Amino acid sequence: MGQVLFIVWRESAEAMLVIGILHAWLRANPDRGLGLRHLWGGVAAGVLAAVGLGGAILWFQTFFAGDAQEYFQLAMVLVASALILQMVVWMRRNGRNLRRNLEAGMERSAGTASGLGLVTLVLLAVAREGSEMVIFLYGTGLAQQGVDLLRFAAMAAAGFLLAVLTFWILQWGGRVLSWKTFFRISEGMLLVLAGSMLVSGVEKMEALGWLPSLKDQLWNTAWMLDDGSRMGGLVASLTGYRAQPSLLLLLVYALYWLAIFAVLSHRETPRKLVASRA
Amino acid sequence: MGRSLTQLCLTSAWLAFTPLHAQEIPTFKLEMKDGVISPARLEIPAGKAFQLEIRNSGKTAAEFECKPLKKEKVVVPGATATLSFKATAPGQYVFVDEFHENLPTGRGLIVLK
Repeated sequence: MGQVLFIVWRESAEAMLVIGILHAWLRANPDRGLGLRHLWGGVAAGVLAAVGLGGAILWFQTFFAGDAQEYFQLAMVLVASALILQMVVWMRRNGRNLRRNLEAGMERSAGTASGLGLVTLVLLAVAREGSEMVIFLYGTGLAQQGVDLLRFAAMAAAGFLLAVLTFWILQWGGRVLSWKTFFRISEGMLLVLAGSMLVSGVEKMEALGWLPSLKDQLWNTAWMLDDGSRMGGLVASLTGYRAQPSLLLLLVYALYWLAIFAVLSHRETPRKLVASRA
Repeated sequence: MGRSLTQLCLTSAWLAFTPLHAQEIPTFKLEMKDGVISPARLEIPAGKAFQLEIRNSGKTAAEFECKPLKKEKVVVPGATATLSFKATAPGQYVFVDEFHENLPTGRGLIVLK
């Protein structure tokens, strides 16, 4: 039964991180073009998508029997990763200090473009793991009878509440920490998450034969943290950690972080110069 | 007489040029039943593409996940899912039923040799 709690919590964790961070950001930076309605709209759409996708897999398993599901999941994970990166860039641009310099034109256009991006990002964050959770809850819950069913429901609810706790911790952090500190930490968390999604995407492409692994299982750190274990699996899905990474995966991950540092340390200065000249 | 001869020629030509078993990829069966994986150990020839036919004969949902081979798939009760694997180097690859990973019977090994 503890497994039920853990699975519900784990599958909700990623979505809760994204929703929690974005919620804290939007609260601290009220914007005409982008608002909490986009966030909750994305959540609602994501829940619908998760139920729809989960339901489709439950009842039309044959439709998803082949590689169709693989392609679909690959698309979702890559798009989600790209949207997180876009969101981080947007938040840097519209951060508290620079906001008053970006009035009218620039801000509005940045706002509408990211409105759809925000909704899509949240939708994907919820639907990706949500669909698996729907299948798990329905497929496993159905097998329970009487008292077991109640216990199952209680454990699932507890797992969900733990995930909601993550959300509240992030809101609390947004209030307690200085904006700059909170921004840096949450931005870092989102970048790590985007990196993890990139790793998933590359892995799927390797498995489909679209990308060459170069060298499989470069090393094995399963003795330190086994990504097949519960904790290890959670770390793996949130950070992109792999106990036996291929050379390609390592190169992609290294390039990703190099690019992040290059882009983000470069962007800050030019924007400020443009703003002060305007 | 002429027509049946033409038909015979066409049929022979078709049989000759159509590979009857074009995609003969070795398929191995795996059964997942409420957290019990059987067989717990699969021995599969390495260096060749292969397929796994995973059947969920239990009442609860299962999720096959093999991190080293980068494949995962949810299988609902009563359904069978087929996963294709590309040619891989010999070695031992651990896989689990993610929804029942806490059980000792929820883990398995794919041995490629």
